[in-house]
Amino acid sequence: GRRRRMKRTAPRSTLRKIIKKYKPQLRLAANTDLLFSSILTFFSFSLLKVHLNFLLFLNRLAEEARINAFEKKSKIIKPEHIIVAAKVI
Amino acid sequence: PRSLKQAKPVPKSSRALRRKKTEPAIASSLIKSVFSHYVKMPVAREAFKVIEKCSEKYFMQLSSDLEAYSSHAGRKTVEKVDLEVLMRRQGLVTDRMPLEVLIERNLPLEYRKLLIPVAVSGNKVVPCK
Repeated sequence: GRRRRMKRTAPRSTLRKIIKKYKPQLRLAANTDLLFSSILTFFSFSLLKVHLNFLLFLNRLAEEARINAFEKKSKIIKPEHIIVAAKVI
Repeated sequence: PRSLKQAKPVPKSSRALRRKKTEPAIASSLIKSVFSHYVKMPVAREAFKVIEKCSEKYFMQLSSDLEAYSSHAGRKTVEKVDLEVLMRRQGLVTDRMPLEVLIERNLPLEYRKLLIPVAVSGNKVVPCK
Protein backbone atom coordinates (compact mmCIF):
# COMPACT_ATOMS: atom_id res chain seq x y z
CA GLY A 1 0.00 0.00 0.00
CA ARG A 2 0.85 3.67 -0.02
CA ARG A 3 1.11 3.82 3.74
CA ARG A 4 4.62 3.49 5.05
CA ARG A 5 5.22 0.57 7.33
CA MET A 6 5.28 1.35 11.00
CA LYS A 7 8.67 1.45 12.61
CA ARG A 8 8.98 -1.67 14.68
CA THR A 9 12.23 -1.42 16.59
CA ALA A 10 12.09 -0.47 20.22
CA PRO A 11 14.30 2.47 21.25
CA ARG A 12 15.51 0.65 24.33
CA SER A 13 18.29 2.95 25.41
CA THR A 14 15.98 5.93 25.10
CA LEU A 15 13.33 4.19 27.17
CA ARG A 16 15.93 3.45 29.80
CA LYS A 17 17.12 7.05 29.80
CA ILE A 18 13.60 8.40 30.15
CA ILE A 19 12.86 6.23 33.15
CA LYS A 20 16.24 7.16 34.58
CA LYS A 21 15.36 10.82 34.21
CA TYR A 22 12.29 10.52 36.41
CA LYS A 23 13.52 7.83 38.79
CA PRO A 24 17.33 7.81 38.90
CA GLN A 25 17.53 5.22 41.66
CA LEU A 26 15.27 2.73 39.90
CA ARG A 27 16.89 -0.21 38.17
CA LEU A 28 15.41 -2.22 35.35
CA ALA A 29 15.89 -5.94 35.35
CA ALA A 30 17.84 -7.21 32.39
CA ASN A 31 17.87 -10.77 31.29
CA THR A 32 20.48 -12.31 33.50
CA ASP A 33 19.77 -15.83 32.43
CA LEU A 34 22.95 -17.77 31.94
CA LEU A 35 21.53 -19.49 28.90
CA PHE A 36 21.79 -16.18 27.13
CA SER A 37 25.39 -15.39 27.87
CA SER A 38 25.70 -14.33 24.25
CA ILE A 39 24.39 -11.23 22.57
CA LEU A 40 20.93 -11.72 24.03
CA THR A 41 22.05 -10.50 27.44
CA PHE A 42 21.74 -7.03 26.01
CA PHE A 43 18.04 -7.46 25.54
CA SER A 44 16.13 -6.33 28.52
CA PHE A 45 12.80 -8.03 28.94
CA SER A 46 11.24 -5.40 31.10
CA LEU A 47 12.28 -2.65 28.74
CA LEU A 48 10.55 -4.46 25.91
CA LYS A 49 7.44 -4.60 27.99
CA VAL A 50 7.74 -0.90 28.69
CA HIS A 51 7.87 -0.43 24.94
CA LEU A 52 4.83 -2.65 24.51
CA ASN A 53 3.02 -0.62 27.12
CA PHE A 54 3.92 2.58 25.32
CA LEU A 55 2.63 1.19 22.02
CA LEU A 56 -0.64 0.24 23.66
CA PHE A 57 -0.87 3.69 25.21
CA LEU A 58 -0.53 5.28 21.78
CA ASN A 59 -3.07 2.81 20.44
CA ARG A 60 -5.61 3.86 23.05
CA LEU A 61 -4.90 7.51 22.50
CA ALA A 62 -5.38 7.04 18.77
CA GLU A 63 -8.68 5.27 19.19
CA GLU A 64 -10.06 7.84 21.61
CA ALA A 65 -8.94 10.69 19.37
CA ARG A 66 -10.61 9.08 16.37
CA ILE A 67 -13.89 8.65 18.21
CA ASN A 68 -13.67 12.30 19.20
CA ALA A 69 -13.02 13.44 15.67
CA PHE A 70 -15.98 11.41 14.43
CA GLU A 71 -18.25 12.97 17.01
CA LYS A 72 -17.18 16.44 15.93
CA LYS A 73 -17.62 15.40 12.28
CA SER A 74 -14.01 16.26 11.60
CA LYS A 75 -12.10 14.54 8.83
CA ILE A 76 -8.72 15.00 10.46
CA ILE A 77 -7.38 14.63 13.97
CA LYS A 78 -6.91 18.05 15.55
CA PRO A 79 -5.03 18.96 18.73
CA GLU A 80 -8.24 19.37 20.71
CA HIS A 81 -9.27 15.80 19.90
CA ILE A 82 -6.01 14.55 21.36
CA ILE A 83 -6.41 16.63 24.49
CA VAL A 84 -9.90 15.30 25.13
CA ALA A 85 -8.67 11.76 24.46
CA ALA A 86 -5.74 12.16 26.82
CA LYS A 87 -8.08 13.20 29.61
CA VAL A 88 -10.14 10.06 29.17
CA ILE A 89 -7.13 7.76 29.41
CA PRO B 1 24.85 38.51 -1.77
CA ARG B 2 28.37 38.78 -0.42
CA SER B 3 27.24 39.46 3.13
CA LEU B 4 24.94 36.47 2.97
CA LYS B 5 27.77 34.18 2.08
CA GLN B 6 29.90 35.41 4.92
CA ALA B 7 27.40 34.37 7.59
CA LYS B 8 29.36 32.57 10.25
CA PRO B 9 28.73 28.85 10.51
CA VAL B 10 27.90 27.58 13.96
CA PRO B 11 31.08 26.27 15.60
CA LYS B 12 31.08 22.53 16.06
CA SER B 13 31.74 22.59 19.76
CA SER B 14 28.61 24.56 20.60
CA ARG B 15 26.52 22.22 18.49
CA ALA B 16 27.83 19.26 20.43
CA LEU B 17 27.00 21.01 23.67
CA ARG B 18 23.46 21.66 22.61
CA ARG B 19 22.96 18.05 21.67
CA LYS B 20 24.00 16.88 25.10
CA LYS B 21 21.54 19.14 26.80
CA THR B 22 18.45 17.74 25.07
CA GLU B 23 16.19 15.75 27.33
CA PRO B 24 15.85 12.05 26.61
CA ALA B 25 12.62 11.54 24.75
CA ILE B 26 11.14 9.11 22.28
CA ALA B 27 11.95 10.17 18.74
CA SER B 28 9.10 12.21 17.34
CA SER B 29 9.32 10.27 14.09
CA LEU B 30 8.66 7.05 15.99
CA ILE B 31 5.67 8.52 17.81
CA LYS B 32 4.41 9.85 14.51
CA SER B 33 4.66 6.58 12.65
CA VAL B 34 3.18 4.51 15.47
CA PHE B 35 0.31 6.90 16.08
CA SER B 36 -0.64 7.29 12.45
CA HIS B 37 -0.47 3.52 12.10
CA TYR B 38 -3.06 3.12 14.83
CA VAL B 39 -5.31 6.07 14.09
CA LYS B 40 -5.76 5.38 10.34
CA MET B 41 -6.83 8.97 9.74
CA PRO B 42 -5.12 12.19 8.71
CA VAL B 43 -3.62 14.00 11.69
CA ALA B 44 -2.98 17.74 11.95
CA ARG B 45 0.63 18.72 12.45
CA GLU B 46 -0.04 20.53 15.72
CA ALA B 47 -1.77 17.43 17.03
CA PHE B 48 1.50 15.53 16.97
CA LYS B 49 3.01 18.05 19.36
CA VAL B 50 0.18 17.36 21.78
CA ILE B 51 0.78 13.63 21.41
CA GLU B 52 4.45 14.12 22.26
CA LYS B 53 3.52 16.03 25.39
CA CYS B 54 1.08 13.28 26.33
CA SER B 55 3.79 10.66 25.90
CA GLU B 56 6.08 12.63 28.17
CA LYS B 57 3.41 12.71 30.85
CA TYR B 58 2.75 9.05 30.25
CA PHE B 59 6.39 8.17 30.95
CA MET B 60 6.40 10.32 34.05
CA GLN B 61 3.40 8.42 35.33
CA LEU B 62 4.84 5.08 34.24
CA SER B 63 8.12 5.49 36.06
CA SER B 64 6.48 6.45 39.32
CA ASP B 65 4.06 3.54 38.98
CA LEU B 66 6.90 1.11 38.39
CA GLU B 67 8.75 2.49 41.37
CA ALA B 68 5.68 2.03 43.53
CA TYR B 69 5.20 -1.57 42.43
CA SER B 70 8.80 -2.63 42.88
CA SER B 71 9.27 -0.88 46.22
CA HIS B 72 6.04 -2.47 47.41
CA ALA B 73 7.61 -5.83 46.68
CA GLY B 74 10.73 -4.75 48.54
CA ARG B 75 12.91 -4.51 45.45
CA LYS B 76 14.97 -1.81 43.85
CA THR B 77 14.77 -3.40 40.45
CA VAL B 78 11.79 -3.38 38.15
CA GLU B 79 10.94 -6.94 37.18
CA LYS B 80 8.73 -8.42 34.51
CA VAL B 81 6.00 -9.00 37.07
CA ASP B 82 5.73 -5.30 37.84
CA LEU B 83 4.94 -4.54 34.22
CA GLU B 84 2.33 -7.26 34.14
CA VAL B 85 0.63 -5.97 37.28
CA LEU B 86 0.69 -2.48 35.85
CA MET B 87 -0.88 -3.58 32.60
CA ARG B 88 -3.53 -5.47 34.50
CA ARG B 89 -4.39 -2.33 36.42
CA GLN B 90 -4.50 -0.32 33.21
CA GLY B 91 -7.04 -2.82 31.96
CA LEU B 92 -4.84 -3.88 29.08
CA VAL B 93 -4.24 -7.35 30.43
CA THR B 94 -7.39 -9.18 31.49
CA ASP B 95 -8.42 -12.80 31.85
CA ARG B 96 -9.71 -12.69 28.30
CA MET B 97 -6.70 -10.85 26.97
CA PRO B 98 -3.51 -12.37 28.31
CA LEU B 99 -0.21 -10.58 28.01
CA GLU B 100 1.07 -13.09 25.48
CA VAL B 101 -1.63 -12.11 23.03
CA LEU B 102 -0.79 -8.44 23.38
CA ILE B 103 2.86 -9.22 22.79
CA GLU B 104 2.00 -11.29 19.75
CA ARG B 105 -0.18 -8.59 18.27
CA ASN B 106 2.02 -5.60 18.92
CA LEU B 107 5.66 -6.58 18.96
CA PRO B 108 7.73 -7.70 15.99
CA LEU B 109 8.87 -11.28 15.72
CA GLU B 110 12.39 -10.84 17.07
CA TYR B 111 11.07 -9.35 20.32
CA ARG B 112 8.26 -11.83 20.54
CA LYS B 113 10.78 -14.62 20.51
CA LEU B 114 12.46 -13.11 23.53
CA LEU B 115 9.34 -12.63 25.59
CA ILE B 116 7.29 -15.71 24.89
CA PRO B 117 8.65 -19.08 25.93
CA VAL B 118 9.19 -21.33 22.96
CA ALA B 119 10.14 -24.94 23.14
CA VAL B 120 13.45 -25.48 21.38
CA SER B 121 15.25 -28.70 20.59
CA GLY B 122 16.70 -30.65 23.47
CA ASN B 123 13.58 -30.22 25.60
CA LYS B 124 14.60 -26.72 26.67
CA VAL B 125 12.16 -23.88 27.01
CA VAL B 126 13.51 -20.50 25.99
CA PRO B 127 13.40 -18.09 27.77
CA CYS B 128 13.23 -19.81 31.15
CA LYS B 129 10.66 -18.53 33.59
